[in-house]
Amino acid sequence: MLLYFVLSSETWIFGQKHLDHVLQYNIGFYLHYLSRWPDLCCVQEAPRGRMMGYVIGKAEGQAAEWHGHVTAITVAPEYRRLSLARKMMNLLELVSNDIYRGFFVDLFVRCNNLVAIEMYEGMGYSVYRRVKEYYGNLGVGKGGRDEEDAFGMSALAVCLSGRQETEKVPLDMRKPLSRDSARRSVRNNGRDIIVSAHDVS
Amino acid sequence: MSAALDRQIRPIYDALDTGSNKSAIVACNKLLKKHPKNALVQALKALALVRSQKVEEALALCDEVLESKPADDSTLNAMMHVLRGLGRHKDMVTMYEAAYKKQPANEELGAQTFFANVRASNWKSAQLLASKMYKQFQEERYLYWSVISSVLQAKDPNTSTEMRTLLYKLALRLITSAPSPSSIRSDRFHLHLTILRELAEYDEAFALLDTPAGQGICETNLACNEIRRDIMRLKGALEEEGKRAEQRILEKNDRNWLEFLSVVDGTFSPLLQNSAVDGVKEQCASKVSNTMALFTKISVEDGKKDRSGLLGLLELEDRSRKHDSTRLLTLLKHYYELFGDKACCFEDLKPYSDLEDQELASWSEILNTSPSSLSSVESVRRVINSHKLLRYNLSRSELTVEAECSRAELYIKQYQEGLLLGKDLPSTELQPVDDLAILAGSVFVNVWKMTGDIKFLYKAAVLLEFALAKSRQAFQMRLMLIRIYRLLGAPAVASDHYHLLRIKQVQNDTLSHFILSRCSTFSLAASGDLTFSSECLEASQIYISNSQETSDFVIRAFSAEKYSQIPEFIKFEDWLENSLQRDITKLEYLRMRVAHEAISSEIIDLELIELKFIFDRLHHDNRDFEILPNYQPRVVEDFNTQTLLFGKSEGHGWVWSLLKTYITAFSQASDLDDVVEEKLLVGDRPQVSDAAKRGTLKERLAERDEEELSELTTDELSLVSYADALAAWLEPFHDYVRPPASVVLAEAAKQTELKTGMPLRGVDTTPPNGSVKKEEDTPPITDAPEALQKFFENMKARFEVARKTTSPVEALHVATLTQEAFLLFVVETLRFKTASVVKIHKLGNLVTKFKPIRAVAVTVLRDMAAALEGISAQEGTSEKRREFIELSGLESLEFDHDFIMNIGKKVTDSRKKVQEGIAKGMSKLCSTYEQ
Ligand SMILES: CC(C)(COP(=O)(O)OP(=O)(O)OC[C@H]1O[C@@H](n2cnc3c(N)ncnc32)[C@H](O)[C@@H]1OP(=O)(O)O)[C@@H](O)C(=O)NCCC(=O)NCCS
Repeated sequence: MLLYFVLSSETWIFGQKHLDHVLQYNIGFYLHYLSRWPDLCCVQEAPRGRMMGYVIGKAEGQAAEWHGHVTAITVAPEYRRLSLARKMMNLLELVSNDIYRGFFVDLFVRCNNLVAIEMYEGMGYSVYRRVKEYYGNLGVGKGGRDEEDAFGMSALAVCLSGRQETEKVPLDMRKPLSRDSARRSVRNNGRDIIVSAHDVS
Repeated sequence: MSAALDRQIRPIYDALDTGSNKSAIVACNKLLKKHPKNALVQALKALALVRSQKVEEALALCDEVLESKPADDSTLNAMMHVLRGLGRHKDMVTMYEAAYKKQPANEELGAQTFFANVRASNWKSAQLLASKMYKQFQEERYLYWSVISSVLQAKDPNTSTEMRTLLYKLALRLITSAPSPSSIRSDRFHLHLTILRELAEYDEAFALLDTPAGQGICETNLACNEIRRDIMRLKGALEEEGKRAEQRILEKNDRNWLEFLSVVDGTFSPLLQNSAVDGVKEQCASKVSNTMALFTKISVEDGKKDRSGLLGLLELEDRSRKHDSTRLLTLLKHYYELFGDKACCFEDLKPYSDLEDQELASWSEILNTSPSSLSSVESVRRVINSHKLLRYNLSRSELTVEAECSRAELYIKQYQEGLLLGKDLPSTELQPVDDLAILAGSVFVNVWKMTGDIKFLYKAAVLLEFALAKSRQAFQMRLMLIRIYRLLGAPAVASDHYHLLRIKQVQNDTLSHFILSRCSTFSLAASGDLTFSSECLEASQIYISNSQETSDFVIRAFSAEKYSQIPEFIKFEDWLENSLQRDITKLEYLRMRVAHEAISSEIIDLELIELKFIFDRLHHDNRDFEILPNYQPRVVEDFNTQTLLFGKSEGHGWVWSLLKTYITAFSQASDLDDVVEEKLLVGDRPQVSDAAKRGTLKERLAERDEEELSELTTDELSLVSYADALAAWLEPFHDYVRPPASVVLAEAAKQTELKTGMPLRGVDTTPPNGSVKKEEDTPPITDAPEALQKFFENMKARFEVARKTTSPVEALHVATLTQEAFLLFVVETLRFKTASVVKIHKLGNLVTKFKPIRAVAVTVLRDMAAALEGISAQEGTSEKRREFIELSGLESLEFDHDFIMNIGKKVTDSRKKVQEGIAKGMSKLCSTYEQ
């Protein structure tokens, strides 16, 4: 069942079970998201209380770049291909659209995570740009010190956490929302656009 | 502040930011020479002192700054950090309140004062202050702050029921007085609904929900929607809710399981209300068939894509079972056919498959005849699911040793065959056949439980190690192995596995019980090996970060107006703060500490204060036991219970029992009474639970409750009774000798002044006049209760029995508890070691009565140590390794000799180390405290 995200040991256990590095971060990581975008975070529980998956998201950006962002989404292996990810993505898009009135939803995904890329494409996302290199420390972004770096967790770092060095080439994928009826937030040749990590938020 | 001074202060901040507390202190001292009364510099110095753990000096400075009633932002901010570091939230409130009073137009200062109250959980003051701020600054946010403060006060466990209602009423009055409707923000709306629900004003809540704004919010906000569901249920509008859910499922393709549940609830709602009335049954039956049609339609449409429809049918059937019994079987079968190749199938079906008799036979038939091919990942999953589902329903008569062993054999065979499927998987992936090994391991553990034959634990260990080597990330196998190795008396091997789990963050609270539960049994602290003590400290880090970090986020949630999160954060903070595991760990640490460090009045005093705090807590049990896989039949104990060390799980009762024992012993041995303690306390006193207020400390310590004691092993129970007898005997003499509070305080003040050069706050240091010796006579000297010597003699006998059992841990348990009894004796008699004390108080006769007890204790301990050494000499040898291989009986082509040998070596080496180390520690303690 779709529930709002509550902090619980279950969440951490889940992280442990599924080698999910995101869920093993410090208390601050969760609390940061929940104290700002509780409605963009949710968990899926099995009928008898087992946690099956979760999504954590946020809203950010200026003017026409105002959008919802999927920071992390995971479904436990034993519950995959049962449309759980789809349901959670639907909710996140709905809230980004109706509540936050964002122009689009975006996310970072490792370029070799073909399952996820295919899934997102199936849901209407397309590559907006590729991020060139990533040195593991985005300490000081262009706007001065990034708040989330206090937890060692920029959204980009979440996407890449715990992976091999060579895999650290993320794609930035986007899907326009109703407010962007002209589809200005996406482009066809995204895979050819390469930017450096400092240029993405 | 002058620009020059400003320039000189900046480097202090830099030093603090980079953690160079020493240079910060030097810089402060330099500035203080020129500006001795500058509050900001003093505050910064206090901060640097706190951060370098120089609490006493920091306290003195901190008091001085507070007295000057600082009002500028920088000083206040620095002081906020100082006071947080010292745990003095109350002082923080006073400080901000005074500053705000001086500048009532300063809105930011008002907010800071409010937050200070939040940190101190002063909800009432917070509420009043927020109301005041609302009137003054006309910001609606402050009105909501006052509303939620009221709600939080109502939620406080220490608030009475009548008060609670009044507080919710107040909150409601406040929230309805807001100029704009709460529905302009979902979190405000959520708060409004919470209040109405608490006040059972369901109709009013419904009216709010029924507005377009309300409906809109529930559409997108899961938290609000959940309250909405709740309110509908409380209001008894199940039918209406069911209709709504049906619409969502059909029109919006909603597949949220909660909607399906609503439909089922709605279906049976007429029965709930008035099942006696004629026609209700028929009405219900027709509704059931409607719902069935709906769910069937959905399940056909969704196929394998989504299991909600079919699960809904099962739930519907489960609730209406009285009416039809073959349908359930059909559904189970259908579900198994459709989703049997998904790993979640067993957990999904378990709640519906408690079957008996003919039904069970048919169900088993279905499972038994399902294809047993292992040719693809899907078919392996199906086989595993059928094993799990069959095993779940096994009856006692089917659980013979023989039958279980042949099951294990089958599982192992299929495991090995199926391994081929995953041979090309990268090492980071789980093997599809993992659960077959887990099943076989569970069977072996069950047989061990049935027969007491340790060879079955060896088998389980070998098999699971083998499977783990093929599937490095199979953490469930690791957890099973941790349990098994502890039962085998090989804690080091268990710890290795635990470390490989890479436990992080909150898992330290929920999972550390796997190695810390009764770990003093395995601790070599007495012989100088602090492995387990450091393990305890490490696991406890999380509680420190919780107390430092979580409240910051509560404040942030206030600023961001995320009211729905505030009670959750507070609950989370509270659960960690008052975690049961936290204090189980603390007790284990303490038991090891007294074995390791020289027992002194300093240690006793320090520990006593902390234990008394713990004794006032209302504990919350966050330990996760569910994480252990359990595929045991429902007629026997689950895997967790089967593999508990000594067959007992320690819970609240265990903690209370040991706490009482230690607090009693320590408070007798200590000079600190409540008056002294109050004066010497640094931070605020933690909140005291209701239970703690029921009686005086003494009364509470004396209460020994059956239920509490039932969590102890028989040997632990003996220890507790022994300690009670010892304490009861010595109490009058301790009370007689203990110096009066004034003397103790004067001494403490003298020590502080020597250290910091400043007097102790609020303590009169003039030595009390007249003689220190008490007026009354020495209490009559009584004989030692027989129980004391008897205890040691009984433990000796117990040890002889224990070492002959097959369990490698029982003897350790008896030995370490006997050692603990001896150490408690040392604690209780410490005061009477000083010759002058004995002389002044004429206690010579008492002291001679200690001798025979001490002598018996030492003799018994030395005997045990010698015996343990003897046992340990046989461990770690090649014979033992060979024995392990033979007993495990798994050697074959796949499980090669060296692989098994290596496990055997680890086990027996670890055992040897523990037995040897404990023996050594015991001998050492005997020599230390023999006299
Ligand atoms: C990616 C992930 C979240 C998908 O979760 P899920 O609940 O199994 O996905 P869904 O069942 O909702 O699938 C939605 C659609 O995505 C596609 N898809 C998902 N998994 C797929 C797979 N293994 N192969 C092919 N397509 C797949 C399908 O088109 C699917 O629709 P369909 O089942 O109707 O064909 C899950 O695999 C996961 O947790 N992976 C690890 C973490 C991760 O990579 N997260 C993404 C980081 S950016």
